Amino acid sequence: MKKLDSHQHMTTPVIAARSVGTRVLRSEDPRLLSGRGEFIADINLPGQLHVAFVRSPVAHARIIHMDLSAIRDADGVALAWSGQDVAPLCEGLVGEMAVEGCFPTTMPLLAKDEVLYVGEPIAVVVADSRYAAEDACELIDWDFEELPAVTNADAALAGGPVANPQLSDNLGLKGGASFGNVSEAFEQADQVVQGRFYTCRVSAAPMETRGVIADYEWASKGLRLWSNTQMPHYLKYMLTAYLGFPEQGVEVITPDTGGGFGQKAHVYPEEMLLPLLAREVGRPVKWIEDRRENLIAGAHAHEQFVDIAYALDADGKITGVRTDALGDGGAYHMPPWSMAVEPWCAVVMTPTGIYDIPAAEYTYSAVATNKTPVGAYRGVGYMAGTLARECLADDAARALGMSPFEFRRHNVVRDFPWTNAQDIVYQEGSWLETINVLEKMVDYPAFLQRQSELREQGRYIGLGLSVFVESSGESTATSQEHGLGDVYHDTATVRLNPNGTANVTIGLSAQGQGLATTMAQMAADTLGINVEHVSVQTARSTSHAYGSGTIGSRGAVVAGGAVARAADVVREKVRLVAANMLEASVDDIQLTDGLASVKGVADASVSIADVATSIYFDTSSWPEDFEPSLEATQAYDPAQAMFSNGGHAILVELDPETGFVRFEKVYSVEDCGTVINPNIVEGQIRGGVLQGIGASVFEELAYDESGQILTTTFLDYGLPTMDVAPPFEIHHLETPSSHSASGVKGMGESGLIAAPAAVLNAVNDALTPFNVVLRDLPLTPQRVLKAMSGELSTAQQEATSTQGETGHA
Amino acid sequence: MPLLAMRLAAPSILVDLQHVPNLSDIEDRGDHIRIGARVTHREIERSALLADRLPILSAAASHIAHPQIRSRGTFGGSTAHADPSGEWPTILLALSATMQAVGPHGNRTIEADDFFVGPFTSTLRDDEILTHVSIPTTRTAWSFQEAAVKKGDYGLALIAATGTPRGGVLVDPRVTVGAAVGSVTRLVAVERILTDEPLTDELAEEAAVAAAESVKPISDIHGSSDYRRKLVASLVRRAVVELKNGA
Ligand SMILES: Cc1cc2nc3c(=O)[nH]c(=O)nc-3n(C[C@H](O)[C@H](O)[C@H](O)COP(=O)(O)OP(=O)(O)OC[C@H]3O[C@@H](n4cnc5c(N)ncnc54)[C@H](O)[C@@H]3O)c2cc1C
Repeated sequence: MKKLDSHQHMTTPVIAARSVGTRVLRSEDPRLLSGRGEFIADINLPGQLHVAFVRSPVAHARIIHMDLSAIRDADGVALAWSGQDVAPLCEGLVGEMAVEGCFPTTMPLLAKDEVLYVGEPIAVVVADSRYAAEDACELIDWDFEELPAVTNADAALAGGPVANPQLSDNLGLKGGASFGNVSEAFEQADQVVQGRFYTCRVSAAPMETRGVIADYEWASKGLRLWSNTQMPHYLKYMLTAYLGFPEQGVEVITPDTGGGFGQKAHVYPEEMLLPLLAREVGRPVKWIEDRRENLIAGAHAHEQFVDIAYALDADGKITGVRTDALGDGGAYHMPPWSMAVEPWCAVVMTPTGIYDIPAAEYTYSAVATNKTPVGAYRGVGYMAGTLARECLADDAARALGMSPFEFRRHNVVRDFPWTNAQDIVYQEGSWLETINVLEKMVDYPAFLQRQSELREQGRYIGLGLSVFVESSGESTATSQEHGLGDVYHDTATVRLNPNGTANVTIGLSAQGQGLATTMAQMAADTLGINVEHVSVQTARSTSHAYGSGTIGSRGAVVAGGAVARAADVVREKVRLVAANMLEASVDDIQLTDGLASVKGVADASVSIADVATSIYFDTSSWPEDFEPSLEATQAYDPAQAMFSNGGHAILVELDPETGFVRFEKVYSVEDCGTVINPNIVEGQIRGGVLQGIGASVFEELAYDESGQILTTTFLDYGLPTMDVAPPFEIHHLETPSSHSASGVKGMGESGLIAAPAAVLNAVNDALTPFNVVLRDLPLTPQRVLKAMSGELSTAQQEATSTQGETGHA
Repeated sequence: MPLLAMRLAAPSILVDLQHVPNLSDIEDRGDHIRIGARVTHREIERSALLADRLPILSAAASHIAHPQIRSRGTFGGSTAHADPSGEWPTILLALSATMQAVGPHGNRTIEADDFFVGPFTSTLRDDEILTHVSIPTTRTAWSFQEAAVKKGDYGLALIAATGTPRGGVLVDPRVTVGAAVGSVTRLVAVERILTDEPLTDELAEEAAVAAAESVKPISDIHGSSDYRRKLVASLVRRAVVELKNGA
């Protein structure tokens, strides 16, 4: 596939690690843990009004008539708009993915002619208080004619009723590709294993819901928009492109944010409406989403079916893989990720997983349904893809009578750089080692012994393995190598102050990942100063550095690269002046541990603080023709796709009377190249795995056949809690990236990407005596109990078919 | 509160019982204990008196939601709310408690059997408030079983079983089911099996079968009626075994 031209901003300096690799305590924590964070709900502007939305109670209907006069007459109401009112200001948001076979949709800010899902905003009310606004919402007078609701992806794919009139055949995405001789692999296979896996519809459910505040100053035409978005610069671009606010006058401000996980990496109708409302009423307006709204109108995630088949030769090697993903996309493409991202990523990114498979073929489609639009959520698509590949690996191991470790070892890629079937280069990895380390961590022979002893007593434990490779550090290169047109770059600004301390600004907003801490570590080591002397401002405002969004496991890699590059420019200035002060050659000056010293000369050094002071205040220290700014802004974008890897082994026990799945222990191996800060990496693993446990066992956004969503509170939508969180044992492997700053690779998504496969494999391992294999998430108690009652025991046979039969859907 | 927050209820008048005196005590009255309507779940959970005399209440309290909710939610509120998934309605029915109400026409007592009459429905009149609940302390054999997916969740099925042990048997067993049903109900068929019979593993099995046959479980996104029927049977079996070991 397409390789990227190389550019200056793709190289990074070599850094001597000092604070990188150590457990530096998070600089964010004293503030956040003592309640001193300032989240969007905490922000109140003088004179602000409050916004509430009327949302559709029906899944699919034609609006016949809508009258807002009772709302407008209600106490405290300043303004009410319907879709008719807002359409002249903005037709809607076009959503599509920059990939062949994606058919765009335009999502109106407020539904005008048809409502397409329960929760779609149909009117907006601005009032003195949220109470007044919500009371007024109830006064809406509208008539609608219900249309058939499309709630099933297979039915949508087959044609039938249309979910969204803009997609007459319900298709939002359709495509595929084939690499190597796939038909031959399947024709000559000794046996084929296959299965259809389902990842249910879930919500990222960030602890803090969405929120927007808009303040428009008519005199200066200045717009300030507070949003807890993960993509402030993109949002700013959208405000100017769609709404016409003057770009130079728009500032997007991102306060402290309580989790995003991709849900906040979209541009929503609410974010586009608030600025228009603020301009109309001439006062600041504020909207804080409540939990019910978040569950029905924040982007949904993950729902798709993945059909996968491995061709196995007589030796137990996988010779070919076919994958088909069908995404249940909801009513619209949610910009920018769209309903395409989930099925596309599932099959296109790392289609052969960790296995050395010479031939791969994939097809993907996304269909519109009358449900909330599906967008990005941590591990988007990669989770479903990994689930299908890793659970089918267990099916294959069972069919071959091999242990899950053995089968993986037998098929894993061993030599790097490795070029996969898509012609994408994987520079390095510790894939085999991950399998071996996990096998040791779980003490597999002892586990097998215990498992059989417990079975005698009627207790059912299971161990599930999931070994993954993850595309990380989302970049232009990653995108284009995989046939996607997305373009990224991020900047950072580093300033060295007169006393040798540094201030850093990055273009990424933070949602709790500890970016301010890790970026301080990167800056400190590049500049050779103490990490405590660095203060990092994440993108609290678009007035500073530029960023393409805190998404795709890219924060550490991309912001880290930009910080290192900018710090390097400053470092070169310091070296120039230090060389002058020490009467040495610049080439011999190194900056470490707070000192500028001459290589190989024991006591020839000057403190970096003194050099900085001299640059600001003592021109006699300057070399000839010196330019004294100690501030630099640099961009970074990785030169090529980058892959981290790892694996999880999860130990569960099933209760044969209730079907409850209890989590006993998680063993995790992570290789994200150079680890900047083990505490932060481990926190990401724990949180991600727990979300994976949630998505496998506890969480599901349920709909009935009429398209009514049934899970609108945390009473019905079950998030995992600390009570179900098992203890973790985490092992780090470090295989540095060949091309990122310090060799760092991304890992923010890995826990959620890989954990569900381990959970499903663990449950299926525990179910072995019942001769049944489950493939659908979530593993509800009811489903598990049914499996244990022997009612499902034909599923095992469905997994394998006889030689030569591909049986691919 | 959730009903108000979600705009499912819009009462024109809200009555605050915060300042009504004498509703916040747990009193030992010899053969029964009287609990005021405003006593919180947390107070019940931590009461030394109840731990000693009515330990089923202490044991069940920790199943109600999380500490934040337990510190705010009240015994009387939950009882009057008559939530079929509520721990208190299920247990009060099994303990044969007596509700005390007051209204413009004076005081009135209502037996638990006559109090919980339907989903979220009690026989309290619109102009009455619940002031106290009196619970006999003679039912010293007890078991409380709850199947909840996660700690703090509402249960998928609750079973409360109590009885007065005499000569190695229970003379007056009461077994109730909550959460799996539309409103808290006694499992009379199970009670009949347990009455005056030495408790054995075989009897527990028989009781489980009778429970499965007689219960009329609900079906929702958290579990089909078939699944809940199995849960009820298994919880009844566990309850009887626990009664046997404790009685
Ligand atoms: C997140 C969450 C989780 C929960 N989990 C559980 C659980 O697992 N198990 C469980 O049992 N409960 C649970 N509850 C309910 C909780 O235990 C409260 O007891 C319940 O909400 C009642 O609240 P309250 O005591 O403040 O009563 P209120 O909300 O004040 O009242 C409830 C109802 O009873 C009426 N009422 C209250 N007091 C009286 C009185 N003295 N006389 C007459 N009528 C009265 C009110 O008018 C109202 O209709 C949960 C609640 C929440 C919010």
